[in-house]
Amino acid sequence: MSIYDVIFYLFAILTIGSGYLVVTSKNIVHSAFYLLFTLFGVAGLYVLLAADFIAIVQLMVYVGGILILLLFGVMLTNKVTDVKIRTGTIHIIPAVIGTGLLMGVIVSMMLRTNWKSEPGELPFTTTYGLGRILLTDYVLVFELLAMLLLIALIGAASIARRDNE
Amino acid sequence: MINEILNSITFIYPELAVSIFLLIIVLVDLVFHKDKKYIPYISLAGLVITGILVLNQIGITHFAFVPQLSAVKKYGMMTIDPFGSYFKLLVVVTSILIIFFTIASEEVIDLKERLGEFHALIYGMILGMLVMISASDLILIYLSLELLSLSSYVLAGFLKLRERSSEASLKYVIYGSVSSGLMLFGISIIYGLTGSTNLYVINSLIQGPQINLFTLSFSSILMFVGIGYKISAAPFHFWTPDVYEGAPISITAYLSVASKAAGFALLIRFIQTGFTSFISEDGYWTLIAVFDWQALLIAISILTMTLGNFSALWQDNLKRMLAYSSIAHAGYILLGIAVLSNQGLIAVLIYFFVYMLMNIGAFYVVMLISNKTGSENIDDYDGLGAKAPFLGVALAIFLISLTGLPPTAGFIAKLYLFIALIDANMIVVAIIALLNTVVSLYYYVRVLKHMYLTKSEREQENITPSIGSLVYLLVLLIPILFFGIYFTPIVEFARSCVSLLGI
Repeated sequence: MSIYDVIFYLFAILTIGSGYLVVTSKNIVHSAFYLLFTLFGVAGLYVLLAADFIAIVQLMVYVGGILILLLFGVMLTNKVTDVKIRTGTIHIIPAVIGTGLLMGVIVSMMLRTNWKSEPGELPFTTTYGLGRILLTDYVLVFELLAMLLLIALIGAASIARRDNE
Repeated sequence: MINEILNSITFIYPELAVSIFLLIIVLVDLVFHKDKKYIPYISLAGLVITGILVLNQIGITHFAFVPQLSAVKKYGMMTIDPFGSYFKLLVVVTSILIIFFTIASEEVIDLKERLGEFHALIYGMILGMLVMISASDLILIYLSLELLSLSSYVLAGFLKLRERSSEASLKYVIYGSVSSGLMLFGISIIYGLTGSTNLYVINSLIQGPQINLFTLSFSSILMFVGIGYKISAAPFHFWTPDVYEGAPISITAYLSVASKAAGFALLIRFIQTGFTSFISEDGYWTLIAVFDWQALLIAISILTMTLGNFSALWQDNLKRMLAYSSIAHAGYILLGIAVLSNQGLIAVLIYFFVYMLMNIGAFYVVMLISNKTGSENIDDYDGLGAKAPFLGVALAIFLISLTGLPPTAGFIAKLYLFIALIDANMIVVAIIALLNTVVSLYYYVRVLKHMYLTKSEREQENITPSIGSLVYLLVLLIPILFFGIYFTPIVEFARSCVSLLGI
């Protein structure tokens, strides 16, 4: 087992373990904090895959932005912090069968498939190539993304504004 | 590089026009925030311009945004072809009809200050649909699907003060994010298998021997989940009745026609471009033997129409009933795709045109009555035939057309569908669809019974629609009756629009 594998399993255990705690924790603030470790673990996996740009974005946007906002939202709505969330399980047998089947399918698929791989060295940094491709080949996607963000803004403002009738 | 981009821009004028008018609406909304009565007219103007630009594109077959940095420099991210132009035209016409719809709808008139946002979000939906119809790259497909979904989530819950509307929006978001997550998973598996996101490249790569069929089938099913949610095919239809009932009625009508049309266009393009190896002379598509789309589509469509029709039988709320009826219609249209032939495709194109007219018409009458009575319950329709003779007759014609009886255009739509099925020797499936039509007759006629045979217990004033509403209904009614008798023009137009940009 190389050092690479050790780091991989460390991050994987961190992600899965804290992910489990997010859904089982009865206190919503604790859940939000556990989510921090899940997202951080995913960022670590990205680093291992040499996807440096995505790793930074994951840290900045998810850990730095969304999670902090989530915590603010939870803590500022003072009623929510006291609410005990129901984390019980219902329909346990169908759920086990369903998820078991899905997991079987995914695992067998993962092991049996010839995934497409291209020989070549890992790039030293991905940001340059990514920026280049986003503004040339994928410029349409880039611009459409801008429209998507505009719509998201309008939608969020529309939901958040106070209506008086 | 820059030449390719500049050249490609000439092929996306409709999408550009929609984007520009979206920005104009946002700006006008900001600048003239005292007086918003002009906003609907601005969006109408934008749609008319978009419509003209789409009409100019009919007949053009071309790739746009061909990647210059990648190895394969043949296939673009967007495909402009007659098939796509037909669906784009359908979306634009539906949008124009819906804007007129909102001008008459009390729910939307009451919004006043939020009118600008409402139209901006409708434009977001239009942009999403237009891109989705001609996207041939998985990334673009996913992005446009999200753009469409995001705008429709907000629009479904636009009447925030109404509890049902918020519930509709929340349900829509939850179902929508699960299915788009599954679709994204499917996309990532396809990418892992082939190393490409372009449907044309994927098509040539999955013909190779080293493709793992199990994995490809799994990812195809996941892709279908995302699209099936948009077209509300069973078993991904659970959101439909609740969302259709809770959303503002103009949005319900819009979701049931335009958003479905875009979903179907995407499904057809995905199967035709991604999985077809060649099209024979008599128009049958031969799929690459990697995944049995025909079996999946037939199973899903039979399930969808049966579930939709039988659930509609017990609905007392007309919006909810029309929601189930739209699920059933999605089932019929899926059959047209399941034939996997150009003839089936013609049937789908005709069906969608007719479906647009009759479904919007039915929702419009329901809206006019709900403007007066404030509810969509079937009891409010008691004795309507006497109180509002024109509305009664109009709704009757729309419902007869939805059933598929002559002399309405609904009959022609179903006729072409059944011809395509029988031509492909799918007799059993055709019989099941026919039996379903018989079932649907019951719940459509039930409304007629309430309108004409049941006496109203309450005393109600007569409902007289305004001149504008009369014209609107006539615009929908005349084509339904006209194409029911003389249907050659629409069939010919559909036939000319059937070709997709092939391999």
